[in-house]
This record gives sequence, C-alpha cells and structure tokens, in this order.
Amino acid sequence: MISAEIKQIKIGLVSCGIAAGGEAVYKELTAAAGDIPVVKVGCLGHCYAEPLVEAVLKDGSSIFYNNVPGTSEAVANILALGEQGRFTIPAKRKAKELVKVLSMAGKIDPVNFDDYVSFGGYEGLKKALTMPPEAVVEEIKLSGLRGRGGGGFSTGMKWSFLAAKDSDEKIIVCNADEGDPGAFMDRSLMESVPHQVLEGMLIAAHATGGTKIIIYCRAEYPMAIDNLNIAISQIKANGLNIINGREIDIYIKEGAGAFVCGEETALIASLEGQRGMPRFRPPFPTDSGYQGKPTMINNVETFGNVPLILREGGAEFAKVGTAGGRGTKIFALAGDLEYPGLVEVPMGTTISEIVFDIGGADPEKVKAVQTGGPSGGCIPKDMFDTPVDYDSLRSLGAIMGSGGMIVIGNDRCMVETARYFLDFTHRESCGKCTFCRVGTTRMFEILERIVAGKGCEADLDTLEELGNKIKAGSLCGLGQTAPNPVLATLRYYRDEYLEHVNQKSCRAAQCNALSDIVLDQAKCIKCKLCIRSCPVEAISADFVIDPDKCTRCNSCVDICPKKAIRRMAKGENK
Amino acid sequence: MQEDFSFLNKIERDPGNLIKGLQAIQSAYGYVSDDAIRTAAEYFGRPEADVEGVISFYAQFKRVKPGKYKIAVCDGTACHLKGAPLIHTWLNQELGLNPGETAPDGVFSLETVACLGCCSLAPVMSVNGKVHAKLDRRTMMKILKEYAAK
Amino acid sequence: MSIEFFLDGKAVKAEAGQTIMDAARDNGIVIPGLCGDPRISKTTSCFVCVVKDKKTGKFLPSCSARPAPGQEIEVTTPEVLDMRRTALELLLSEHNGDCEAPCTIACPAHAQVEEYVRAIANGEFEKGLAIIKERIPMPMSVGRVCPRFCEKQCRRNIDGKPVAINEFKRLAADKCFDSYMETLPELCGKQVAVIGGGPAGLSAAYYLRLQGFAVAVYDAEEKFGGMTRYGIPEYRLPKAILDREVAHFAKMGITFVPGKKLGADIALDELQKEFDAVVIAIGCWKASGLRCEGEELATPGIGFLHNIAVNGNVAPNPGRTLVIGGGNTAMDCVRSSVRLGSADVTCIYRRTEAEMPAEKIEIAEAGEEGVKFQFLTAPVKLEKRGDKLVLTCLKMELGEPDASGRRKPVAVPGSEFEIEADTVIGAIGQNTDAPAGLPVDRYGNLDVKAGSTRIEGKLYAAGDCAYGAATVVEAIASGRLAAMEIAEDLLNIPMPHENSVFISRGTWQEMSREDVVVLRDDLSDAARVELKFIPIEERRTTFNEVCATATAEELAAEGKRCIECSCSDKSDCKLRKFSDEAGCRPNAYPGARQVASYDVRHPEIIQDRGKCIKCTVCVKVCKEVVNQTLLSLQKRGFQSMIGTAFNSGLPLSCKDCGKCIESCPTGALDWRKKR
Repeated sequence: MISAEIKQIKIGLVSCGIAAGGEAVYKELTAAAGDIPVVKVGCLGHCYAEPLVEAVLKDGSSIFYNNVPGTSEAVANILALGEQGRFTIPAKRKAKELVKVLSMAGKIDPVNFDDYVSFGGYEGLKKALTMPPEAVVEEIKLSGLRGRGGGGFSTGMKWSFLAAKDSDEKIIVCNADEGDPGAFMDRSLMESVPHQVLEGMLIAAHATGGTKIIIYCRAEYPMAIDNLNIAISQIKANGLNIINGREIDIYIKEGAGAFVCGEETALIASLEGQRGMPRFRPPFPTDSGYQGKPTMINNVETFGNVPLILREGGAEFAKVGTAGGRGTKIFALAGDLEYPGLVEVPMGTTISEIVFDIGGADPEKVKAVQTGGPSGGCIPKDMFDTPVDYDSLRSLGAIMGSGGMIVIGNDRCMVETARYFLDFTHRESCGKCTFCRVGTTRMFEILERIVAGKGCEADLDTLEELGNKIKAGSLCGLGQTAPNPVLATLRYYRDEYLEHVNQKSCRAAQCNALSDIVLDQAKCIKCKLCIRSCPVEAISADFVIDPDKCTRCNSCVDICPKKAIRRMAKGENK
Repeated sequence: MQEDFSFLNKIERDPGNLIKGLQAIQSAYGYVSDDAIRTAAEYFGRPEADVEGVISFYAQFKRVKPGKYKIAVCDGTACHLKGAPLIHTWLNQELGLNPGETAPDGVFSLETVACLGCCSLAPVMSVNGKVHAKLDRRTMMKILKEYAAK
Repeated sequence: MSIEFFLDGKAVKAEAGQTIMDAARDNGIVIPGLCGDPRISKTTSCFVCVVKDKKTGKFLPSCSARPAPGQEIEVTTPEVLDMRRTALELLLSEHNGDCEAPCTIACPAHAQVEEYVRAIANGEFEKGLAIIKERIPMPMSVGRVCPRFCEKQCRRNIDGKPVAINEFKRLAADKCFDSYMETLPELCGKQVAVIGGGPAGLSAAYYLRLQGFAVAVYDAEEKFGGMTRYGIPEYRLPKAILDREVAHFAKMGITFVPGKKLGADIALDELQKEFDAVVIAIGCWKASGLRCEGEELATPGIGFLHNIAVNGNVAPNPGRTLVIGGGNTAMDCVRSSVRLGSADVTCIYRRTEAEMPAEKIEIAEAGEEGVKFQFLTAPVKLEKRGDKLVLTCLKMELGEPDASGRRKPVAVPGSEFEIEADTVIGAIGQNTDAPAGLPVDRYGNLDVKAGSTRIEGKLYAAGDCAYGAATVVEAIASGRLAAMEIAEDLLNIPMPHENSVFISRGTWQEMSREDVVVLRDDLSDAARVELKFIPIEERRTTFNEVCATATAEELAAEGKRCIECSCSDKSDCKLRKFSDEAGCRPNAYPGARQVASYDVRHPEIIQDRGKCIKCTVCVKVCKEVVNQTLLSLQKRGFQSMIGTAFNSGLPLSCKDCGKCIESCPTGALDWRKKR
C-alpha cells in the first residue's frame, strides 16, 4: 500500500549512495512508486546510513529510512511509511552541527536549476551584482572567510589582490583536485549542489573583474564533473554568465591524478597542459598565473561559502566561529567511529564534540585523530578539548587541511599510520626539489625499516632531524607538510616507536613483522576452516600456527567462527 | 588493430589541451600507446619527449594495455586503516599481481588508487569502475571468481 | 634602481631583478648551486643554494628568490651551512656512480690508477709516471713489493683475474725514473727534519720538498731505505733499485744524514730548536718474542734479514731452519734461508694457510722454492740440546672467531711434540721502539690524532711507528699526509681534499656481472699478463730478482682489460666539488640509490641516470637554447628521470652539440669517450 501522505520520495544518489547500492533501491522505488515522483538528490552527509531514502510528506515533514536494501519489500515498507528502518539524525549530532554551506545538499536535485533557485540559490549573486565590486570584496573581508583548502589564507585579501590588477584577462580557478585520501567534502558539495560552487565563482568574477572561470576537478570524480557541466549549461542558458555586460567563459579541466596539483603553481602548470610541478613564488598567481595572466585560485568549499556571505552579510557570517576561523567547516569523518560521513560544524567546535558526540566514536577505544590527511598530524585524545580552527590545530603540529578527520582507534599502530602517510606523500612528490624528493623517500625507508623490525633508536633522531629540514627546505606545501604525520606521532607516541625499535614489538599487532597470529586452543572447535583458508599451509593438523610460514594475511582470523585466532604483539604470547 | 584517434578533432588544437586529449585517448583505449603519443604530439604541437613527460607524471595515464577487468584497490586513509594492505596480500596470493601489473592472460590488471571517496564503506576496491565495499577475504575471492567466470 | 639589503649582517646593494645569489656574487660571496644556468629559465631544484630570511625564519633558494629592501639574509651561518650540507648529502645518498674507481679507493695512497694504466698502456710512460708520483714517489720499489690493494678491488675479479695494475707502475718507473725530474718550487725558507729514511720518511721528504721546504733526512743506518732495504730481501727488491730512488731524492736537493740514531746521536730537543717541524718515521724495528720459554734462543726475523742485507746478501747456511709466524716477514725469512743453502726450511704457523697474513703469492712462491709448512702448530718451549735447538710445539685447532675475525687457535691438550733444528727464527711481529718522552697509544705506537700525523707542537709521526707494522705503500701515504699537514700548519696551504668524497657503486664482491657496466668498446677478454720468472734453481740458490718487468707490448694489451670504472666527470663534477667543500658525509642518509642505467645508444653521448640529480638543466638547455626538445623529465618523485620519447635514447637527429653535457652538473650526461 502506498501511503497517501507521501508527496515525494528523495534518495541520495551521488557517489556514496551509489557505492552503497542505492541504484538498486532507486530502481525498485521508481517501479513501485506509481505517480509519486522519485527524485535523486545529493548527500546529507550520513554515509553510515546509505542508501538513505527520504519520504517527503504533504505536510512538509519528512520520514527517513536508512541502509535501505534494494528489495521490493524494503521499498514497499517505505511507501507504506512503515515503522521498520526509520532513521532519525542522532540527537547529539543535531545539537552540535550547524548546517549552512551544506544546507541544500541532499535536499535538492543537484541538476535541477529551479530546485536550487527555489531554495534561495543565486540570491547571493543577485545581491552582489547590485553592489560595486569593491564592496563585495569588502564584504568577503568582513566575513573573515579563510581558504578552506588547507593554507587558510584570507579569502578577501586574495580577492583584493586580483581586483587590484589591471589586466584585460583575469582568471578565476576553482581548485577541485581534492586529493587528500580521506577527505570528500568537496566531492559531495560539487555532486550535491554544483550551482552553489559556481555561484560563488560568479560572485568572485564580479568582485575581482574576472573574465574566465576554470574548475580544475579530479578526473576520479566523474559525477561531480557531470553535474557541474549540467549546471554550467544551465547558467549559460539563464544568462547568469553575463557579468557587468561581459560574458564569462566557464569550463572544467580535469586533473589527471597528481596530489601535488593542489599546489597553486602546480595546478596552473597542469591547466596549461604541462607536468604539474610547482614553481618558486613570487611571482604569485595573482600577478602571473594561468598563461601569464593574473589568476586567483580558491577551493571548492571556499567558493561554496561565498553565496552565504552575500546572502546574510559578512558581519552576520562572522558571528559564527572563533578568531582563528570564521563560519562553519565541513569535516569528513572516517576511521574508527560509529557514524562516518560529512558534518558541518561552527569553527571552534572541539574535537571531542566532533569525534564523540557527532561521530559516535567510543572514547574508550579511541587514541587519536588525524586532521589534514597526509599533510597534517595526529592529535592525541587528551587534547580533544581543543577548539578546532586554523591556528589551534597548527599549534598542535597538525593542520586543518581540507577537513579530513580520521579517527584512530587504540588497536591501530601509530608508526604504521605515519608510514602510510609518508608512503603516500613520497610517491606524490613531484620530484623537483631535493629535500622533498630524496628526503621524504629516506624518511619513508626508515619507517619501512622500523615497521619491519629493523629500526634502531638513532633512526628516530634521523627522522626528526630530516623531517624538520624537509619542512624548512622544500619548495612547496607538499614537502613543507609531508613530515607532519611523522613528527606529530614522534611527539605524542614516541613510546610506540621505541617499542618498535627496541623491543621489536608492535602493541597494536598491526605491523606484520612485529606481530604473531595465535590460536587459542581453548576456544577452538577444530572445524578446520582456518587450515583450509590458509594460503601458505602454516596451520598444522593439530591447530598450531607456524610463525615462520605465516604471512599474517589474516585469512584465518577472519574465517574463524569462534574468534579463537587473533593477532598479538610479538613476545606477548608467552 | 589500428587505433583510431579521430576523436581528437573535437578538441581545440591548442598545446594547452594536451592533457584533455590524452584523457580522451586513455578513456577510449585504457592506455596511451606509442602511436597515440605520436598522434597527440603532432595534433597539439608538442614534442614527443614532452608528451612522454606529461603522461608519466600523472597517475591517470597508463602506458601498458590494461586487463579486461581493471581492479583498483583504494588505499585512502580509511581503507588503509581498515585493511587495504591485506587486500593487496590476498590479490597477490590469488592472482600473483602487484600494483601496476596486468596478468599474462590479460584478464585482470591491478592498481592502487588514492581514494575512491567511499571512506565510510572501507575497505573498498573497484572492478572496471564498479565499487565493491566492506571487503574481507571471502567476499573478495567471490568477486574475483565471478569476474573470472564471465 | 637598486635596493639595499643585508647579507650576514653586512649592508649590500642589489640591482633590480637580481636574485640573492647574483647580488651575493657581486658582493664577493659565492653561493654554490647545482641547478642554475644563465641561459635558461629557473629550475629551482637542487636547494643547495639555500639561505635564510632572518626575520621570517624561512629558507629560500637564493637562485630564485629576489631580495626585498631591508631584508636580512643569512648566508654562512652554521644553520644555513648545515641545510646546504644536508641538501648535498641527500643528493649523494641517491647518487649511483664511481667518483673514483675501486682501485683508487682501495689504494692506501689513492693513486689515480685508471689514469696511469691508460697512459702507460698507450705508451705514454712519462705521463703515467707523473700520475703515479703524485702519490707514490718510490714507484720502482712499490711496483715490486706492493701487496696490491688495488688489484684486490679491481672489478675484473668478477671475471676471474684483476688487471695487473702493479706491473704498469713497475714498467713506467723502470723506463723513465732516472730521466724524469719534477718541477721544483723555490725554497720557502722553512726547514723540516725527517727522522728515519724508510719509505714513510722518504715520502714525507719528497712531498715536503715539492711544497718548498728544505728537508734533512736522518737515519741510524749507513744507507737509506729503512725496511725496504734491510727488511725486504734482494730477490724481491734489488738494492740497486733503492739506490736509484734515493739518488733521485738527493738530486731534488734533499739532504741525507746517515748513521745518526735518534736518542744516541741526535736529540729531539735539538732538532726542534733547529727545524720548523720534525717528522718521526722510525718504523717498527723491535721484534716480538716467541712468548714461550727459551725465546731468547730464537733469532729475531728482522735481525736475520738485516744481517743478510748488511753483508751483501751473504750469510752462513742456517742449516735446518724453523721460522715461526705467518706474515710477510716470515716468508722473507724462509725464502732467504733457502737461498743461503738450507735444504730443510719449515714455516710454523698456529692457524691454517687460509688465515696467514702473508700475501698469497709469497706463500705460493715459497712453496715453489721448497719451503715446508706446518700449520696449526704453536711453540711452547725452545731449548738447546748439544749443538741443536729443540722446539716443543702443541697441536692447535680452530675455535671461535676472535677480534680480528679470524678463528682463534685453541691448543689440543696433550698434543706436545718436538722438532729439532739448527736455527729457529721468530717472525711473529714487530713493534715501535718509541723514543722516550713521546706519548704512545695502547699498542706502543706514537700517539697521533685519528686520521692525522700530528703529535704535538712541531712533531709529526708517519709510517709504521704511527700505526704499527704495515706495507710500503701505506708508509708512503702516511708520509705524504705528514707533508700536507705540515704545509697546512706552516704555510697555510689548505689540505687537498680532491679525494675526500668517494661515492662508489659498490665492490665487485657485492655486484653482479650485469652491474659492472663496461663503457669502452675495446674491452679485452684476454687472460691476465703472465710474469716471467727466473728458473727455479736460480731462485733457490741466488738472491737474483725473482721475476722480470713486463714489456710495453704486454701491458698495451693488459691495459685493454681495464673497465675504466671511474666517472668520466670526476674532475669537474660540481656535486663532488661542493660536497667536498661542505664536508659532506656521503653515507649520512643511507637508502635506495638510483638505478644506474647507462644509455649508450647514441654514438657520441652517454646518459647515465644513476648520476642524475634531476635538475632538468639539460632538458631546458635543449629546449630553450638549442631549440629542440629531445629530452624531458619523466615520471615523478624519487622515480623521476631524464628520458627521451619512447625511451628510444637520444635520436640521431641530435646534433651532438654537447650543450647538455656542458651544462650537466654531474656526469649524468657526458661524451662516451673518456678524455
């Protein structure tokens, strides 16, 4: 039975929803819903609840259903407004979050222009066009908005630099090359509300005299690119790209997979069809950027904030947040927590509010959080009361970065985590400057030695010495931040490093060379599943694991029905 | 088989559009052949050595023909914490492949990608773009068998 | 319009558009950099040129950063120099080349082996000799007696036999030693006394004279040469050879004062008053005892050899002879005993042949001459019975390795046995007889600072007396070092550090045949040259020299066996030069090296990626100066490399203009033929 109360069904169908199996649900819904419109919307940020379906009722209220399987029964339950599988946003999250930039995400059809307008879209642009360009720049300055991509440079200042340039051509670039593994707020914003980002860029074009808009987007985000392209054609169709009588050229250039292209000068080189290698600044892009023209680069989320500032005014915007950062910030939560996903909170919210209250992580099971991805650092649990803004994080040896927040559980090895980040950065180093190219490789090699049980205490000093020199001597932000994960873990978790190098033991039992897989004979029911699953015949007929043959592949651990097999730090099983 | 690059004509003949052209070639053939480099160099007016430099810089471009099924294992932070290295171990045990390699029979090829953006479903891998989430050894083996049987 | 800023606190002016590096140069401060070239756009790659902005605390590449008015730039503070050194050390850590060939590194005197081998093989004997004498002023002696450290590290060992390096030295020296004369500098007015006229003292005297010092060499003996004369037998090193070498030193104006023994005839105090510096090079002349009961009945090995030498290679037949010890002195004793007419000579050694410190060739030649060996045998008692000596010995077996890494001999209980002999010679070691009042180390050698010859004040020590009994070539290296240090101390001539940074691709023992890349097209696969020995009967009965000098023809062929391992760019490699100047430790950051991949597909040019620092100067020169783009930077990060399209090598359309080679700061791009 289809409930008569239902006006519309919405289903989150951007990348995360699709990956969770949302398309099957959508198929079932369209087949069963009859006349009720089923709308594909963007992401509400509750990744843990995907596929997430919203039944919008005629009275304007909504009922949500989470983790909906792609079955006709599940769909029938929704259409009947059944009690089963109803979803409510956890109360703690509701109390802490402040949804402003993402207010339309998951509510509107991303590629429906009218939907966007009906939720207040393009009001910011309209307002901006009534103001002189300088006034718009002043408004942005007044808002205190700082770049959301990582550096945290004042957006208003950047705009004023470009505005001050006397040039026939000025380029406005949106950096959508979100390469930080573990961050996906930009993707979500572009997929869910592409117009909002474009509106921000059009406002920038008005404020700074921009003549061309380029979005440099990761090729790995095909849906973001599709949605942006549709949005661009809608903008053109509605004439919104005519600013002050000038037609603004808007187009997307796809990145091709290089983390370093998040660096302004590298991004410009890539836009020009070259290897994405950074160059020494000055000249800054606002003086000489894309094809030698004055160029201003802002991040997706930064542009996403701009329409809000124009709508509510810079002063109002600045009321939220702290001196170290105004407005809200979107964080991508992942790792060892209950509710991974996106969340938008006021700047100055504490880490513990984000991780425990919103993310639902168990305080007993968490030891640290990594912010800023591979460029950032870890923050140990006893510092979780820190309010999150640009300056507070930097003082802890981490960075805001683009807003990735990875929760690290007690059973994770901090040395291995640092090794992982260095593995990423040293491979993403462009290779131009010595400190980054060779230095990060040497640091990575040392970490590889340590997790393999071949490290020594002097290695830790070398890591620190080299890490600080790489930070000081690298050409661009990649090298200048690459040592952070190592330096931060050395600062807060030196004891774990010392155990690795001195006792040759990994307390998290994560480093293969420093762990054993052991079978508890008391729990074993002799079902032989482990023996059959072992790819290297390391388990004997009497259920003893040969540590020399065992590759620590975890096959037996995963398959054991009695959880009789587990990983242990080497030497612990005595 | 002679590769056809006439689709390049849809892209403006500007040296700055080289990457765009290469992306079109990559998506058409799954890799960039020597012939493709010659054609792109000629079309966009860029020296061949230069084109080779650009291709080898970006992870997106492959110079080797991929397998029928392209396995991409996500090694984003969340997936890494949740066991991406083990997925590599298992794939290596099962297929004998290391990242960047294509099996001799051309069925599977393996690569590591930075982040598929499905952090909440970690660990994940994609096969020809289709994401398989929350992997453990058993599900992964099942997935491989299904593709191999196709 | 110029601006003013500060370099290390000093106000300087910079012209508009000048970089910090340019402005510093105009003000007399040269900042090293590897990746710049005035003809091309900035590469900003090597970061060797870093300077620090005092106010912001940021490090800046001075090749690209322009000074701001009033900016305070630190150029030579310890912190900046440390950053610069680290940049270089990181580059060295991935550098995969041979700054010197393994033979040169192995040679204690660091002679430029590859160069003299090439010259002599080409028939340029004088040129070859000149190269040798830069490091080895007694090439006729060393050419005969050297244990050939160089040959042991020759990469041809991987194919079986090393290049016969020492024969080149001997030939060149035999041919033109007497006719060759160094260009002597004017005397500087300072005087140095050298005590001891052995190889260390003579070498010190030679290099001191070449630095302009007046030198007087004192020796306790009537003739000069020290151990080379009185310790090494005639059949290995004829005295006439030594006479010619000493004569040459005299010809150079070095004063020789024979028959003056330190402590008896001359006093250190006096010499220090008279001279500006004193080099003590008195050798190791105190023989170790047998450390067993009756040891006084044994003849000390050096005494035995000295006696033969002093008496013109004549001495009584020692009869049945036992020589105890396994070193080169022991071999000299057994072989001399044979020549004195003994029909029964036995070498007694407490370990096995494998552990013998003597040169393998010496052991083999002794065997050929009829010497017997009794291994795993140690003396416990020596006594006289009638007119015979009786040596009681114990059987030994090898136990755990000792500090030297050799397995320690352990006595087998109850295995005593006796050997009867006419003569028992102890040749188990020699020690320094240090002059009273001088500091000694725990071995009894003169206490010099590590890696130096300085004792204190005006006193220096070189050769065996500074580090214990060793080889002639080590003594010569030590003597040269003393001369250089004296020149540094007295004349302020900086120590040459042309060889201080050695990057090596590895030893042949740790390399595979494929790793040993051969660049020369005419490498010979012929067998190593065989030396001509005099008949065995003549060897047993006379002290005539055992083998003849190889011929020029033989060595022309032998020279083609040389792989020519060393870097073609070693003499003007900027990386090496700056690393030397910065005092870099090549192994500061051990890790993976770049893969050496020699691209020799172009007929004239070789590209060696192992040595590339990825500065891209060559790429930019080819593109921006030559107007071609035949090279490009490929891949990224640590894997970055300079490549060509389709990895097909430099195309033949390349005009061999050589501009990329000229601009390459290292030997990564070079002409194929060594020049």
